[in-house]
Amino acid sequence: MSPRMRPTLPAAMAVAAAGRLAEEAAAMAGAVRGALGPRGGRALVLRPDGRPLLTRDGRRLLEALCLQPPTARAMAAAACRYRGATGDGAKTFVLLLAALLRGLRAAGGAGRALPDFQRTVLEPAAALGLRRHLLSAFPAGEAERRVDLAALEALLDAYLHGRAGPGERPRLARLCCEFLARCAACSPPALRLLGRHFGALHAAVPGLPLHGSTVLPGVLLRRDFAAYSPSSGAVGAVLVTEPLHAALSAAGVELVVGSEGQYEAARRWCEARTEAVVKRLRSSNVKLLLSSVKQHDAVVYYAKLHGVSLVECLSSEEVDLIRELTGVSPYSPSGDHGCGEITDTAVATFCRPLLLGSNRYVHIGFASSTCAFQPHCLVLCGPVDGVNEQHAAAIQGAFTMLQQLFKTVDGREEWGSKGESQNDASDACSRHSSATQKQFTIENAYCNRNQVSEHLLKTHRGETETQIVDSTLKGSENPAGMQTALQTPSNPASHSEELSVPCKGAGSSRDAQETQAKCQCSGEMHKGYESDLPVDNLKNYSTAVLTTDNTNTVTVCENLDVGKDLEKASCGRIPFKPEEGCVSTAQKYSSSVIEAGSVLPVGGYFEILLHYYIQYYAKQLQQSAVTVISSVVADALLIIPKSLYGTTEGNSFAKFYLNTTNALRKNQPLPVNEKGLESVYCKYQLVISVLHCVTELLNIDLIIGVKRPLQKIEDNDSDDDF
Amino acid sequence: MSRLEAKKPSLFISDPLTKDTVSQSLSLLNRILKSCYGPAGRLKQLHNGVGGYVCITSQSSAILGRLSVSHPVLKVLTTSVQNHVARFSDCGLFTAILCCSLIENFKSLHVPSCTVIKISKDLLSLCTDYLKSEACGCRVSVDFSNLKTLLCLVRSILTSKPACMLNATEVEHLTMLIVKAFMFTIPCHVETKAVLGKCVTIPVKGRRVLDSTVLPGLLIETPEIQFAKLLSVKRISSDTIKIAVFCVSMSGDLFNPEEGMITVHHGVSLEMSELNQLLNVGKQLVNDEVGLVVCQKVIHPSLKQYLKENQVMVVDRAGLSVMEPLSQMTGSKPIASTHSFSPSCYGSLKDVCTKSFGSKHFVHLIPNDTVVCSLVLCNRNETTWDELKRACETAEHVLQLTIKEPVALLGGGCTESHLASYIRYKTCSLSTSSFKDADYSQTQYQLIADAFCCSLESVACSLSHDDKILTDTVYGHHWLVPSGFPSVSNWSDLLSKCGCGINSNTQNLNWRLLRPHFGSPTLQSCPKEPSVKTADVLTLDCFAAKYSGLQVAVETANLILDLKCIIEDQN
Repeated sequence: MSPRMRPTLPAAMAVAAAGRLAEEAAAMAGAVRGALGPRGGRALVLRPDGRPLLTRDGRRLLEALCLQPPTARAMAAAACRYRGATGDGAKTFVLLLAALLRGLRAAGGAGRALPDFQRTVLEPAAALGLRRHLLSAFPAGEAERRVDLAALEALLDAYLHGRAGPGERPRLARLCCEFLARCAACSPPALRLLGRHFGALHAAVPGLPLHGSTVLPGVLLRRDFAAYSPSSGAVGAVLVTEPLHAALSAAGVELVVGSEGQYEAARRWCEARTEAVVKRLRSSNVKLLLSSVKQHDAVVYYAKLHGVSLVECLSSEEVDLIRELTGVSPYSPSGDHGCGEITDTAVATFCRPLLLGSNRYVHIGFASSTCAFQPHCLVLCGPVDGVNEQHAAAIQGAFTMLQQLFKTVDGREEWGSKGESQNDASDACSRHSSATQKQFTIENAYCNRNQVSEHLLKTHRGETETQIVDSTLKGSENPAGMQTALQTPSNPASHSEELSVPCKGAGSSRDAQETQAKCQCSGEMHKGYESDLPVDNLKNYSTAVLTTDNTNTVTVCENLDVGKDLEKASCGRIPFKPEEGCVSTAQKYSSSVIEAGSVLPVGGYFEILLHYYIQYYAKQLQQSAVTVISSVVADALLIIPKSLYGTTEGNSFAKFYLNTTNALRKNQPLPVNEKGLESVYCKYQLVISVLHCVTELLNIDLIIGVKRPLQKIEDNDSDDDF
Repeated sequence: MSRLEAKKPSLFISDPLTKDTVSQSLSLLNRILKSCYGPAGRLKQLHNGVGGYVCITSQSSAILGRLSVSHPVLKVLTTSVQNHVARFSDCGLFTAILCCSLIENFKSLHVPSCTVIKISKDLLSLCTDYLKSEACGCRVSVDFSNLKTLLCLVRSILTSKPACMLNATEVEHLTMLIVKAFMFTIPCHVETKAVLGKCVTIPVKGRRVLDSTVLPGLLIETPEIQFAKLLSVKRISSDTIKIAVFCVSMSGDLFNPEEGMITVHHGVSLEMSELNQLLNVGKQLVNDEVGLVVCQKVIHPSLKQYLKENQVMVVDRAGLSVMEPLSQMTGSKPIASTHSFSPSCYGSLKDVCTKSFGSKHFVHLIPNDTVVCSLVLCNRNETTWDELKRACETAEHVLQLTIKEPVALLGGGCTESHLASYIRYKTCSLSTSSFKDADYSQTQYQLIADAFCCSLESVACSLSHDDKILTDTVYGHHWLVPSGFPSVSNWSDLLSKCGCGINSNTQNLNWRLLRPHFGSPTLQSCPKEPSVKTADVLTLDCFAAKYSGLQVAVETANLILDLKCIIEDQN
């Protein structure tokens, strides 16, 4: 649906709808709150068949609730969708959603400004404010992207804090860490493989304490050997997906028996052929047959006779895993002509039966040929199946979560193009220019009628022509949004000022670049650590804002001209430091809001930081709607630390909040007690998803009940045929 | 087009543990289980009110398996105990009672559940570390070269199951049999990896317990008619009989499980062709001097007749359960083909004879290497036989666990009270500085440690149902005073031996009444290890089962205390 066609609600109706939504969301939040955070408990879900399921997974909880109101179902679906994509955060999603809807109701339904808020406040807050505090989970100085082991442990520990019981978490985190380390799965492809095949890579034993859990090398197949001949050393293994024993007749085939002898000969031939196949496998040094189908008794017999081990009835998941690990394709006796050696064999370093609890497993060691991934399997022990299921789900979720670590939040397209064009001119500028690009595009739409900005545009046109076209297009697409965003003429001025200073410096003065280049070379530059950055940048920023606050549009032009001097002046005031800040961030900053591998300490720090910076950047704006939304979102974010710290004795949230915000104001490092880390990408995506969900919900004006199952559009074509 | 049925919303119950129904059913379950515990335990009769089978038992596996527990929280508890029993066979009641007591005691403290869980996990690791350490005062090592400890272990298990209705002589007889049967299953020639053999239990109901016996080899039940016709067997030498084992049907039926069609011309009989093939097999068997043919399925009467005429003994319909021990015992490979089989599939037996117990007739296959044996278990009626069978299986399993880890724990409540004394002593001696980094206070820690010890002691106390229970302050062992004596200060007149029988009343051990209530006095020193560890009759418990049961009980209690809500799907 194009933005133009979006139905708009009368204000009163919108408030009423927001009220109902807020109530529903609050009820859902009440249901999941108990399971949130390190002090949360677990829920016992009784499935329709009576089996108990223990879980702290928000998605499971929401699914188990079987919600009735359609909008509540939509909210739960959105939360589950988010959880499915990132492996974490369904509970946080619901809590934030509830808080946001409550705030919006109190604010009187200002939800329409949400997209603008996201563009003008949230993204700068994340890109400029938040990123200074981010740590990286990737080891420094390595080109290859993989998670640092210490960071991995911290991430897993924090993740499992919310997913396993307090007594089980440390052991489980260690296990999971050991598992990942031994599988050598710290990179996205291996993590994906683990996540996809975790079902076949773990086994659960009920009735033993968690302490008995362990990591075993190789793969566990949930079958017993149909035939087992012990062998030492590596053996050849062959994958089979069809019966090896030829039947006398098959479906649609008729066998005509003319005489008893003929029948006898046919039977004899079938048996002889099976024996020949097994013999041939054996002579190709194949001692292990892995079959996805049940084999005839004769095959089992001949396998036993010739010392070949046989495993039958493998699940398709297990077959896929074996194929992926070893790269072999299934062997078919009818496919070859019974001569030559069978070459497409995998190497099993060992194969033996293993008794886990009351179940027999086949334990096979595969030497992985296709990738660096070293197959290992996890044996989970717990008193009841429900706990094992909970732990397995938590660990699988952790793999999804870890994959998110490698993702980045990209800026919008024009950010990227702008960033590139600016990068050509000067790396140092990209930070400022990209960050304010959003404002810049808005401004462009407006500035067509503004003479001074026209002038400003001219100065840029040479460099950023394409991008202006983009932004003009965007402006014409969404005029309503533009108009709400642009209410005071002083706004663009302040932004253009902020933008123009570095651009001017970059575009026109080679000197400035040279000084920067010198700075880069000087050893002193590397002194600039992240903790120093905020001071300088903020000062830089605030001076710029201060100047424009008191100036009219004409002084902007002057400022443009003296941009070089301004910069030089600032250089003079605090030698090297602004450049240091700019350069060091620019090195990391490649047109993305959040870098891959960004992490923050767990325990509400992300929310507090975002809260702080949303407020900070909202102050720069004077658009009432966006400001209102900003304060609503900023306050809603606090629900997470509130819920996390509210369960401790004496409710330490107030203390935590004061400590953190004080440190932020004074530009001190954050007071962090937590060792755990969480992925900033997930957290940021969560906020974005919640905002999308709210926007969507607030734009629904009519709910229509239908009796037929709704079909996806793609499915309609095939269904019509019937 | 199908209509969508609206799903009913689920029932959401928050903080289930604070509800009365849970506390009541939990304490009821606890009372039921406590009353079953130990040699003096009371029996429970389980029946369904409509008639039919009645179960009289005091074993957790039988009770929990038949009890229908409606409340989901209790279901978690009972499932957990049942899983433990499935793994270890023993210490089910111990686990269940400890778990119930822990939940009840922890719940009454009103300490946040996550604190309780953290501290109880700490206490648990204190216990497990102690039990695993060499210095542990409540464990004895098991010497397999001396049968005494093994007999003690088995005797303790049999005496703790009062529903078997055994007297002292019968207990001794069965204890000997079980240990003997276990010894049979240990292979004589161990290669790289030792695999224990199998003991097959043969049920004979309605006979005296003293008629029970152990035989090396397998007993295969045969109908009486066949039994009478068993003739002398062809032997290779005086002590070798060649045996062929078939796992395919030899009935001569056309087996055609595959899809598809077979068209047969007029006058062609496939049945005849099959039978001819079977007779060919018979000829080959006779030529190969096979003395005994065992078939898992049915053998065609003509083939049977042919084989018998040639002095080959035939046993068919042996069933799948016999196949594995049979091939293990004889070294034969089950043949799955009636067309070609190599002589390498044959196995050998030492002898074959016939036996009958009561109204049942058996073919007794006696192997050269006795890794498989048969325990002919007799008891007076079906109910007591079932109970006895469970007890024997437990004993066998315990012996298998003990051979893996040759240690045992002192029984008779001594381990529990000793462990409680140890924990009390350890937690008292903790300095305040060790609580600096923890997010709980020392008071909380003490409270929870006290509740933990009380739960352990309450398990020990449930061993006695009338008697007074004492504990000594030197070894921390468990002593029983027979009921009917007044409370006196000089306990030493009334006491003879502690629960496990390792300490006798030779010195004044400073007894005090053991009541599982909070704030029991702590020991001044760490509870000591008994000086002599060799008494003739000791009560011993399986180490692995109790060690795991302790952990499972604490983990399950933690699991249940951690429950914040129940979501019940109403669909």
